[in-house]
Formats: sequence, C-alpha cells, structure tokens
Amino acid sequence: MDETVRRRMAFLGIVIVGLFGALFTRLWYLQVLETEQFSVAAETNQVRIIITPPTRGRILDRHGVVLADNVRTGVVTIDQSSYTEDQFESVFAQLSDLLDVPESQLIQGLADQRTHPLAPKVVATGLDEDGLLRVAERSIPGVEAKWDWVRTYPQQEVAAHIVGYVGAMSERQHRELIDDGYLPYERVGRAGIEGLFEAELHGEPGRTKLEVDRLDRVQRILADVPPQPGNDVVLSIDVELQAAAESYLRQGLIAARKNVSEDSGFFYPALTGAAVVMDARNGDVLAMASHPTYDPNWMVEGLSLAEYQSVFENPYAPGALNNLAVQGLYSPGSVFKPVTALAGLEAGLISPRAAFHDVGYYSIPEVRGCTGRCTFFNADRAALGTLDLSGALTRSSDAYFYKVADDLYWVDGPEQWAIQDMARSLGFGSPTGVQLPFEKSGRIPDGEVKKTLFELSPEAYNPYNEPPRWFPGDNINTGIGQGLVAVTPVQLANAYATIANGGTLFSPNIVEAVVSREAEAFGEAVLEFEPRVLDVVELPEGSAVVREGLSNVTNSRLRGTAAKAFEGYDHAGYRVSGKTGTAQAQGLNAVLRRKKEDTAVFVAWAPTHDPRYVVAVVMEEAGYGGEAAAPVARRIMEAVRAYEQRWPEPQIAFVPPQPECPEVPEALRGDPAFLGYVPEGCPWGIQLPRANTPADADGDGIPDVDEITGAPQSDMPRRRAALRRHQTRRRAVLRRHEVQRRAALRRHEVQRREASS
Amino acid sequence: MIARLLNRTHTRRELRSPAWFADYSLALAAIAVACVGIAMNYAATWRSLTFDGEDPWTVARRQAIFVGVGVVVMVVAAIIDYRVLRFYATPAYLAVLVALAALLRWGPEIRNARSWFELPFFGFQVQPSEFAKLIVIVSLAAFVANHEGYLRFDTLFNAGLLLIVPMSLIYLQPDLGTMLVFVAVAMGMLLVAGAQLRHIVVITLAGILALVLIFSIDALQGPRLLNETQRNRLTAFLDQDFEPLEASYNLRQSQIAIGAGGIWGQGWKQGTQTNLDLVPEQHNDFIFTALGEEFGLIGGSVLLALYAYMLVRIWQIARSANDPFGRLTAVGVLSMLLFQVFQNVGMTIGIMPITGIPLPLMSHGGSGTVTAFAAVGIVISVGARRYSL
Repeated sequence: MDETVRRRMAFLGIVIVGLFGALFTRLWYLQVLETEQFSVAAETNQVRIIITPPTRGRILDRHGVVLADNVRTGVVTIDQSSYTEDQFESVFAQLSDLLDVPESQLIQGLADQRTHPLAPKVVATGLDEDGLLRVAERSIPGVEAKWDWVRTYPQQEVAAHIVGYVGAMSERQHRELIDDGYLPYERVGRAGIEGLFEAELHGEPGRTKLEVDRLDRVQRILADVPPQPGNDVVLSIDVELQAAAESYLRQGLIAARKNVSEDSGFFYPALTGAAVVMDARNGDVLAMASHPTYDPNWMVEGLSLAEYQSVFENPYAPGALNNLAVQGLYSPGSVFKPVTALAGLEAGLISPRAAFHDVGYYSIPEVRGCTGRCTFFNADRAALGTLDLSGALTRSSDAYFYKVADDLYWVDGPEQWAIQDMARSLGFGSPTGVQLPFEKSGRIPDGEVKKTLFELSPEAYNPYNEPPRWFPGDNINTGIGQGLVAVTPVQLANAYATIANGGTLFSPNIVEAVVSREAEAFGEAVLEFEPRVLDVVELPEGSAVVREGLSNVTNSRLRGTAAKAFEGYDHAGYRVSGKTGTAQAQGLNAVLRRKKEDTAVFVAWAPTHDPRYVVAVVMEEAGYGGEAAAPVARRIMEAVRAYEQRWPEPQIAFVPPQPECPEVPEALRGDPAFLGYVPEGCPWGIQLPRANTPADADGDGIPDVDEITGAPQSDMPRRRAALRRHQTRRRAVLRRHEVQRRAALRRHEVQRREASS
Repeated sequence: MIARLLNRTHTRRELRSPAWFADYSLALAAIAVACVGIAMNYAATWRSLTFDGEDPWTVARRQAIFVGVGVVVMVVAAIIDYRVLRFYATPAYLAVLVALAALLRWGPEIRNARSWFELPFFGFQVQPSEFAKLIVIVSLAAFVANHEGYLRFDTLFNAGLLLIVPMSLIYLQPDLGTMLVFVAVAMGMLLVAGAQLRHIVVITLAGILALVLIFSIDALQGPRLLNETQRNRLTAFLDQDFEPLEASYNLRQSQIAIGAGGIWGQGWKQGTQTNLDLVPEQHNDFIFTALGEEFGLIGGSVLLALYAYMLVRIWQIARSANDPFGRLTAVGVLSMLLFQVFQNVGMTIGIMPITGIPLPLMSHGGSGTVTAFAAVGIVISVGARRYSL
C-alpha cells in the first residue's frame, strides 16, 4: 500500500468521524435542546377537534306562535379542495344526473362568495331522503349528502323587521365568531332580534376531541361535549295583531295614494309608514309594523344580485330592510302639541280654561321686537274662534300653541326651555331602549342643538347663512312639532303612553323572556324582561284638560280633527283619545324630485279612561293625519279590541301570603322541641319567644344549628324560606302597583269630572 | 503454491486458517443492528396492524426471516475466498444489467417506480438495484485494482462508463436514492484507488453543473428530468417551513417524533407518534424515527455507535487488506454503508434531503438486508484472508 492510498484511507476515516459527529450533534439538538417544543407539537399532532353546530333557538310571539324556526333539509356539499379543475365536470355531470337538476344550477352554488373559501360549498338543497340516499350511495369523493338545519320564518313578512333574519357572517363577525366555535359556513343573525340576541339564540357548539392517526382514522375519543341548543326568545308581540297592524298600514298607504295633494296637485306618493301598538301599563310592544317590508326567508339562502336589486333597490319600496318604527325619523307635527301644552302648564303660562281667540294666525307682539318672520298662520289659515286648551287640542289650533311657544321663549329663566324639557322627560330625543338594533334617538332642538347642526352641516341646515341664534320662530316651530324636531314612531307611542298612564315612562319591551331549551331546564326562563320604568314624570296640574282635549279629537260634535275617521266607531264601548298630526316634511322626494308631501301622523290610546293600549301611526307623504293616518289607527284600535277579547286578561286578585306548612308526622305535632320549626300561621306552629330564639345568623327563621342533634342545618330549608320571602315581596309589589294604578285612575276620573263640570 | 514458487517458507500467519483472523465482532455488530431493526419493525407496525385486525408480528416476522437469510448469506460470503469473486464479477455485472433492463420493461409499477420484481411465491419482492450496488462495487474494484495508486484519465473514464450504465437504468425506474449511493460508492473507491485530485475536482464540478442543469431545465419547463415527487423531496429539505404537505410533511413529522423522544425515549411500543402512524413509511425508510422516539438520544447514540464500530472495523480491514481488489471492495462497502447511514439518519433529523434510501440492516426489506449482510460477509472474508497467499 503506497503513501497516496494510506493518506486517502486516513481521509476516509476523518470523513466517517465527521459525518457521525454531525448526526450525533443534530440528535442532541433535537432530543435535548428542543425536545419540549417537539413534545408539544407531538401532542397537538394527534388531536382533532370536531365542532358540531347547535340548533338555533326559536323566536316566539307572546302566545307561543313560532316566528322563526329550523327545518331539516337535505343538502349536497362539494369540497373543492379534493379536485382539480378538470375533474369537476365529471362530478357535476354525475350529480346533475342523480338530482335531475341542470349542471349550471349546481355550478352556481360554487360561486357562493358568502361562505369561507375553504368551506365545502352547498350545491343543492331541499333534498328528500331518497335524494340524499341516491347521492350518498354513489360515494363520489368530496361530495357529501347530509341533513342540515335551515332557518325558516313561517309567518313570512309578518314581523319581519322585528324578527330579523340570518345570513352569512360578515368579514368582521367571521374573525370574531370563529373563536367562539362557529363554523365558517354557519348563518348568524344579521338584523332584528336574530341579530341582537345572537348569543342567546345560537347555543353552545358541541366539541368532540379525537385522537387520530396519519390517515385521520379515529383511534380514541378523548372528550365529547354535546352541543347545547340555543334558547328561545319570546316576544311581547301578538302575531295576529301584528299582521292586522301591518295589513291596515299597507291598506292605508294604498288608499292615501288615491288622494290628491292640495299643495302640489299630485297624488300622494305614500310609500312608507310605521305603526306601533304598545301597552300603556307596562311598556310591552304588542305590534310594530313598518312598510315596505320583506320576507326574511329570502335572506336565509341569500338573494342573487338581481333579486336583491328588484326587492331592495326598488324606488317605490325604499329601505325595505329598515324598521321605520325605531329607525324612521319624522317631524311629529301637531301630535307634539300635548307636549307644548304640558310645558305651558308646567311653566304656569297656560290657564287651561282661559279663552283664546283664534283668528287664524299669531303675530309676535311688537313690544317683544321681531326680526324676520313675525306672523305665523294656522294650517289653511282657518280661524277657529274662541277656544280653551281642551278645544285648542281637539281642533288643533296652531295659533294657540304659537302663542304658548312664543310666550315661553320670552320667559327669563329655566322655564324658557320648558317645551324641550317636557319633551325630553317624555322620552323624546333619546333611544327608548326597546330591544331592537339601530334605534334612532331623534332630536329635540334647542339653542345648542341648532348651533351644533349649523356648524356641522351649514349647507343642509343653514342654506341662507342665518346666525345660529335661537329665534322666537324656532321655539314656535318646535311648539307645533315642526322645524328641527325629529322623533321615531316608537317614541311617539311611548310618550303618549306616559301621558295616558299618568306619568310612568317605560322603556318599551319587545322581548318578554329568553327561555331555555336544554333537556333538564326546558321552558325555564333564562332571562326575563320585567317592565322597565325609566322615570315617573310629575304631570303638571291641568294635565287632565290636555287628556280631555285629546279625548274629543274623535268627537264629531266638538269638531275633532279625527272625527271623520271615527264616524260609526263604537265610542261608547272603547273610546279613543288621540291626536292628529300633519307635518311638513323637509327636503325633496328622492324619486319624484319634488318637494316632499306632508307626513300623516296619528297617535291614540284606548280606552280613554282606563288607558291600556297606545297606537301610533306615521305615514310618510300621505297627506293629512286625520284623513290618512287616523283611519289606519282606528282599524288597528278595533283589532286591539278584538285582541283583548281574544285574550282576556286575568283579573289579578290579591292573595295574602300563606306560610308553607311542612308535613309534620302526627306524633311530633305536640313536641315542644319541634314546634319552633313550624312557621307561624300553621295549625300546629307557635312562635317561640324571642329570648329563646337560637342563633340565626342569616335571619331566615331557621336556626343555624340543629338544637337536638347539634348538626348544622342543611341549606334546603333556608333556601325555601328565602324563596318564600321573595314570593311574599313580589306579591306585595304587584299589589302596590295595582293599588297605585287604581288610585291614579281614580285621580284622573276626579280631575276629569272637575274639568268638565 | 506461490510461496513455493517464490521459494520462501510460509510464515505462521500464512499457514493459519482464515477463520483465525476473521473479524467476528463485525459480524456480531451487524447481527445486533439487525435485531434492533426487527424490534423497531415491530414497534412501528404493531398498532396499525392490530387496528386493521391483523397479526401484529406480520411485518417483524418477515424482517426476521430476511435477517436469518442474510446471516446465512453473510457466513457463506465470509467463508468463500473473496478473490474468487473477480472471476464472477463480469457475468454478474451483465446479469444485473439484464435484470435492471427487464425491470423497466416488465416490472410492475409500485409506488410510482418500477424497482421490484414480484416473486411468484410467498408474496416476496426482489429489488435488483440493491444487489446491483454490491455487484457494481465488486466489478469496479476488479476493474480498478490493476491500476491502484495512479488512475489515468482513460481508466477513470472507463470506470465511469461501467458505473453510468446501471445508474441510468436505476434512474429510469426512477430511484434517485439508490443512484446517489452509486455516486458515493464511486467517489470513495476512486479516491482510494488513486484517482488524481484534478480529475476528482473536474468530475465534482461537472456533477454540480449537471445538477444545476437538471434543476434549471426543470424550472424552465423543459423535458422532465425529475418528477414532481423527486423535486419536492429534494427542495423540501432546503425550505422546511414550506406547507406541511407531502415531502415536508414527512420531514416535519419525523422531526417531531424524534424530538419528542427526548433523552430517554418513551419506551418500546410507547411512542405516540409511532403508534398513531403519523410518520409515513416508518418501518421502511423512516425506521430511525421509531427508534428516536421510543429510545431517545440514548437509543439513537447506541445505534450510531454500532454503525460507527462496523465502519471503523471495515476501515481497518481495508487498510490491512492483502491486495488492492480486497481493499477496494472493502472501501466500496464502507462508502455504501457510510453514505446510506448518513443519508438516511440525516434525512429523518432534517440535515439531508429526503431520498428513498433504506437504513442498512434496519429498514424493512429483503433485498436490502441480504445485500448488506452479503457486503459485510465479503468484507469479513477480505479481513480474514489478509495474510493468506
């Protein structure tokens, strides 16, 4: 072996050592230095979490009629990631053969942009069991045929705006909800109660933790949490009343389109409107209609662009998705006058029975000094003659309230803003808090509001570059609900409920309760919405006259503004108090490109002397309140009366709290050691003298320690006692409410008699 | 006889039976590695076999049979005088060429490659390229032995021709890994045989250039010289954070398994990654991961030490060989084993690209195991006859 070979053998030896050194070093790195990281990776490597979506809770009306439900339907999904482009064709050819639908329709499903790009796409729905089996039998890879739950709205358009709809997640929701266990293709609530109560309705998804091998074969189930169904939401609306309100509103709008406006000489467009029915005693919303409307079923599977445009971009049904009852902002017009009247009474500027001569206009007296417009005319410049407050409301005298508002303007001191203060205390200018999304707060103008608006958008609010001062004219316009005043229909109903019930301002409830659907607690309320009293308004003395004025609005003998609409109405059986409003609308009609027609408004409650239900109707560009809105309100009121007869209210009788008497064995009944535990009022119970009362830290009447055995008392009797105390207190509260209500009614009755005598 | 011709007396060592000088420790080390291999074959497959309702020993038993056959072959190879092999080298070389060519025409396609012949009995398969490695080593040694110490360029060129034919046939199967073994073997043998440094440099540069060309032709959408899997596997090594699909999936899974083993390992049959079959081809090319996970750094080091011991003994045998043919044969076997061990273990721990090379004596497979034993047997034969005339 020569020297070269020897050297090269040595080199080979070095290579061996070097390579093995490298292997060992790397092994050391992996197994000693980085081992923890890999151990974690190894654990997550073998675990899969499968999420089972829960069934969504239903939405019910107050009597249990289902407004939103789930139905089972067979769907076929395709997982795109399992194919190349050219394989699609054969798959679709097979599917279209099996399902007997054209291929183009199947391919449409793939273009669905609303679900996650990687999620399997739904290409066919509405299959029956046969169809599912036919697809499943073929076992085409990537194609799955399965049952799925689909949201359905059996009442269709009825209460659409309240119930809302479900749809695919938005981008932002997607990011937030996936962490909460939503699946990418799940539908979530997008509007109305569906949107607002999403967390309650959705339920808890089930999670199954599986240990799998490389081929995803299940080796072991590590944990299995079944899905928890979502809770039902019970609304306070009544479906039949809701349907009646919606249909009367629609009919009213259609009827208004046949009338010609005297201002412009055109037919009234009368495209949109809203109606609210509220319980004046507790703020429950019984119906809430908004026109135009839509069928939420359209939204579940989604609309194509063309469908969407034809429905929601129709210029003759603008804003069908908006719930105008809480989102529509309107000038209230004359229905605002009771607020002005109450403000005048509060400030002491109105003597309710003092005579006022309505000559058809009101001029600001010269001593006050006036710049610009100084004379304000009645609607149609009609001179109504001599009136008091009651008559001014009945016949809707503008001049009377011009004067009140003008007088208030010149008061020095806090009473200057009496109208605004009264409006705000009646709930205007802030959201009522009804459980619906996107509620508007409206606007009650004063000096600051005007200034802010002028600065915010001079071209919209200040085209003539006036100084942003609060002028007498501003207060006068505000006094009759014109100008910058903006209210929502639900605010109107709520304010009139407050006036009607003697001053209790509620936050309206449209949701009565959230009810569990879990197996162990089925039907139990998870969340209950008690009547929410926001405020108790001290109505000024003389408010009875305001109510009297309103009660005559439907009276033809006293020439009430809504008398014509209430001709032939059963006044004796179900007398209505109300107020018409005809509000000039600002701006142009977007479609017709001419000045907007007047908004017709009517707000009423019934029965007059036991106010139970308030109805508010607002119809945009529909003409006079007395001619367009009042007939709608009348028919709704008749429906309310029918509803009352359909669901007669139980007479609440006061039952004094009864102690719950335990079952005591006869032998023990005389036992003095035992008698101390029997509540007072039970046949064999006596009250132990106070000095002998054993230690009772929680004060529930049950000693902490059992005297005979010395054992600590179990929790149960204590809890039962707590429950008893709670029930007692609740009954007392209910009784107090009832007593107060009756007292208030009696008071009103007395005031009414005084006023009429 | 030669001694008599040379007219000198025999030394004591020359008169001894070769069995006296045989390296039994090398044989024992090989058998030890093979036994570890059987144990790991069982550990890697028992769970999924049980899952499929089969006998958990199915794979391990087959491997044990291979090892048994291999040991017999090793003993026979050690007993036969290696010098006889020179005379059989040429016909064996031609036969294996015919077999490789026949494979391309009639071999069944298994896992995208025509590398196996189905045997009509027992369901065994034969992989001629494994045997080809040993036959080419012997043939090359026989060819270059005459020129040991100084290889002229024409000799080198002829040696290259001798190599290139079986390599091309194997490349066409395609079996990139085995082809690379040939390259490593040739490098080792030609280096020791005395190839001139400048020739080596030129050939290395040419090889690099060829690789670059192959990849760039591939990148330029030229004729497909590498198929999809080959390219992915080779490049996944360079880019380990690539999507965990196919090639780099294997790499990631094997590193997780080994890393999770830690110092002491999780115990035989206890490795979760191994049991859940998360590492693909685990009783085959990736058998080292099972060892790494279940016996940890300790087990891995012991195995590497056994291999190192074998290689060092082979290296010593090569140094002390009686003639250039024996030395070059031993060097060929050394290069083959070294490259295969380094490449295979290296790919499981992420320092080498993934190529389908079995871990000698460990991986499941008859042809590979028997070839490895035969190679060790030949080396023992070389070592045992280092003094014989």
